[in-house]
Amino acid sequence: MLLWILAVAVPIYAAAMYMSYRSAAERLELGAERDADELASQLAADLDAVIRPIEGGIRTVAAQLEEIDPPLEQYEPRIRGILAAWPEVYGSTIAVETGSAHTSPRPFAPYLFRRDAAVASSDLALDSYAYRSLPWYRRAADGLEPVWSLPYFDAGGGEIWMVTYSVPFFRRPADSERVLAGVVTADLDLNWVRAAAEGAPMGAIGMGWLMSPPDPESFVAPIGATTQRVARFDASIDEQAFRDIGERMLASGVTFGLLPDGAAAEPAYLAVRALETLDWRLLLVLPRAELLAEARALLERQLLLGAAGLVLLIAAISFVAASISRPIHALASAVDGARDGDLDFRLPEGQRHDEVGVLTEALRRMRDSLQRHIALRAEDLAARARLENELKIAASIQQSMLPHWAVDAHPAGARVAAALLPARQVGGDLYDYFEREGGLLFAVADVSDKGIPAALFMASVSGLFKVLGSAGELPERLLGRVNERLAESNDACMFATMGCGFLDVGTGLLRYASAGHEPPLLLEVGGKVELLITENGPALAIDTPAVYPMTERYLAPGDTVLLFTDGVTEAAAADGSLYGIERLSALLEGRADDDGPEALVRRLVEAVTAHAADFHATDDLTALAVTFAPRGVTASRRADGEHWLIEPELSAAGVREVRQRLRAILAARRVAASRIDDTELIAEELLTNIVRAAGAGDAKSRMSLELELTPAEILLTIRDNGLAFDPLSRAPPNLDAALADRDVGGLGIHLVRELAEDCRYARVDDCNVLTIRLNRVIT
Amino acid sequence: MALKIAVEKSPTPTLKLVGRLDTDTAPELDSELNKVLASKGIKRLVFDLSGLDYLSSAGIRCFVRARKAIEPGGGTVAIVNPQAGVRKVLDIVKAIPAKGIFASVAELDEYLDAIQQQVRDQ
Repeated sequence: MLLWILAVAVPIYAAAMYMSYRSAAERLELGAERDADELASQLAADLDAVIRPIEGGIRTVAAQLEEIDPPLEQYEPRIRGILAAWPEVYGSTIAVETGSAHTSPRPFAPYLFRRDAAVASSDLALDSYAYRSLPWYRRAADGLEPVWSLPYFDAGGGEIWMVTYSVPFFRRPADSERVLAGVVTADLDLNWVRAAAEGAPMGAIGMGWLMSPPDPESFVAPIGATTQRVARFDASIDEQAFRDIGERMLASGVTFGLLPDGAAAEPAYLAVRALETLDWRLLLVLPRAELLAEARALLERQLLLGAAGLVLLIAAISFVAASISRPIHALASAVDGARDGDLDFRLPEGQRHDEVGVLTEALRRMRDSLQRHIALRAEDLAARARLENELKIAASIQQSMLPHWAVDAHPAGARVAAALLPARQVGGDLYDYFEREGGLLFAVADVSDKGIPAALFMASVSGLFKVLGSAGELPERLLGRVNERLAESNDACMFATMGCGFLDVGTGLLRYASAGHEPPLLLEVGGKVELLITENGPALAIDTPAVYPMTERYLAPGDTVLLFTDGVTEAAAADGSLYGIERLSALLEGRADDDGPEALVRRLVEAVTAHAADFHATDDLTALAVTFAPRGVTASRRADGEHWLIEPELSAAGVREVRQRLRAILAARRVAASRIDDTELIAEELLTNIVRAAGAGDAKSRMSLELELTPAEILLTIRDNGLAFDPLSRAPPNLDAALADRDVGGLGIHLVRELAEDCRYARVDDCNVLTIRLNRVIT
Repeated sequence: MALKIAVEKSPTPTLKLVGRLDTDTAPELDSELNKVLASKGIKRLVFDLSGLDYLSSAGIRCFVRARKAIEPGGGTVAIVNPQAGVRKVLDIVKAIPAKGIFASVAELDEYLDAIQQQVRDQ
């Protein structure tokens, strides 16, 4: 920061100082010019004070000469008067014109001049002098005007610098025009000019000269202390060269400027002024160092002050910066401590009212707010942990609502397997099954929604199902009553679908009703899979009253009814494809002959979870498989059909049981009623004979019936381990005999023969084996 | 799987069988028949089989027993309105002469009227 501030401040300072120096220098230069003007006018005035009266005087003399036209001898007194009047006049003459009728017949030019405080005279009208041809005479005579000569050094005469003023005078002859009569002159000794220049108020610096126009040499009068200063400044100085430079400057309208390099020993200004008087020049040479010494001194003072100011500024900035940066560093290291999560960092105490104070206060607020936030978050986490724990408990309670059977324990007459994979910890799916008088009641339900609301609603459905189900209701009425109870107080507008079945384990009759649930699948022993088409009632808890039509369907032993929720069919793969009923049917059709419900459910869950990209993100998955498995019946698959082995006890009750099973199986396979009757009748006749023949209480006696169902035939194989006896060997009864003669025995066998397509007897392994074949369809 | 037996004494003693008549239920019919046949001089006995779903040889024996009890005394046993399956069994076994099986009660009444007319004529 310090550097930045200096980087900005120093150039500004430097610029300011330079400008101040420049303006001081300009002021000094202007001052010098003003001084030059003043000096010039002073000098002009000094010169004029001497010259103008002389000019006037000489012209007056000339005018008197014209006016009076005195005789020549009166000229001298007049000349003497001139010398008397003006001490600056060294000498004077009145030279007459000659050569015309109206002029003097001879040259006449008495010259009076000062010599040793007296006046001497000489005659200029000598032939050798020939004054009329001299410049001082000619210029006035030719111009007919008064004229100053250029200064000249009077070598051989006065040995002084002089300047001559020549004024023509005229005569007005009566018979002629005004003609030139002569020239009055006054020679001025320029020593007074030197004195005037020396006495002029030259400034404290510089050198000055008053100069006449060059001819070719100029008269030069050093001004003031110039001579001493020149010695000090540059003894070899050439004022004539300055004069030329000055002329050039004047020619281009410049009156002040630097001398070209080399013109003087050191850089210097030249001021030049043209005086009106005599067209003289004032030259002032001002060494720059001296002229600008004041500015330089000012600059030095300013530099000193500036440096002091800068030092002060640096000190001040350092102080201020330190007073800001130290607390900021302190703040930074305090805040840095929070990186490891320690939000108890201490912030500097004390009230500061500057930006640091504001920042500290802001950090303090941030820290406090973070602490509060973290405290809240900790509470939140604790609450969440509590909730998690509660959810775990809820999940375990929910699990406990599901039926719990020992691994291999199944209800009588059926084998059951189920799986429920909640999408979340607790779910809205439900399965339940329990034994009831005469059979097994089972259901699968799916509550609309997931999570806790669904779980609570599901608990309600579960409770109602258990209570109302154990009361002995069949599915249609059970669903109706569950629906009524749920709909009574369904403010949350939840609903559930439910598929509910009751399997009569005696007959294999399945009664099934559905409240908006997916139809279950029926898996026959032979491998066929079909949907159990039901007429759906409305989902539970929506409408009341509601009707749930019941579908009745026989299951053959070994048949399985599979209930599931849409978590199975709607499990979505990564590409969005649903698992679907077709995949499910295909999976189930491919099952092995000996797949029990456990294996089925396991394979189903594996297949669905393998299909789903992220199973838990979708829906609860529930599957319930109920296989009708009455004791004493073994179902198996055959190459072209299904096979059941029924092993009843050898008794009338056993016969009843076999007949019942046969009816149920054939009904399940939709064999025509009359064919069912025929088959039952055959079994009854033959088995009854076996029971009758075996007698009561023979523990070793066994009988069995095998039913094999192919698409075309019904095959019965009946075995018993009784004494070898071929009922078919008995002669058919004489049905036409008189009633009294008729033997009521043999009627059964006769019926069997008549009803069956084919009957055979064999004795195999000490067993009587009767094989009866019927067409499945009566032609 | 049960049998219901409704007994009607007049005008013609009739046993209406509903359900299944088989090895298991035949004893019930036998005991009912015993009661009916106990009253002497029964000339006619009708089995109404309109409600009978199933018939096995054990049941047929009951009908034969009734015939043996009544026919020697000049009586007749008639069967009315058997269902198709039952009729098939009856036809196979021929335990009841075809003329003793009637498709309806009206047909039987006609037949009974005709017999009475014969008796009157004699």
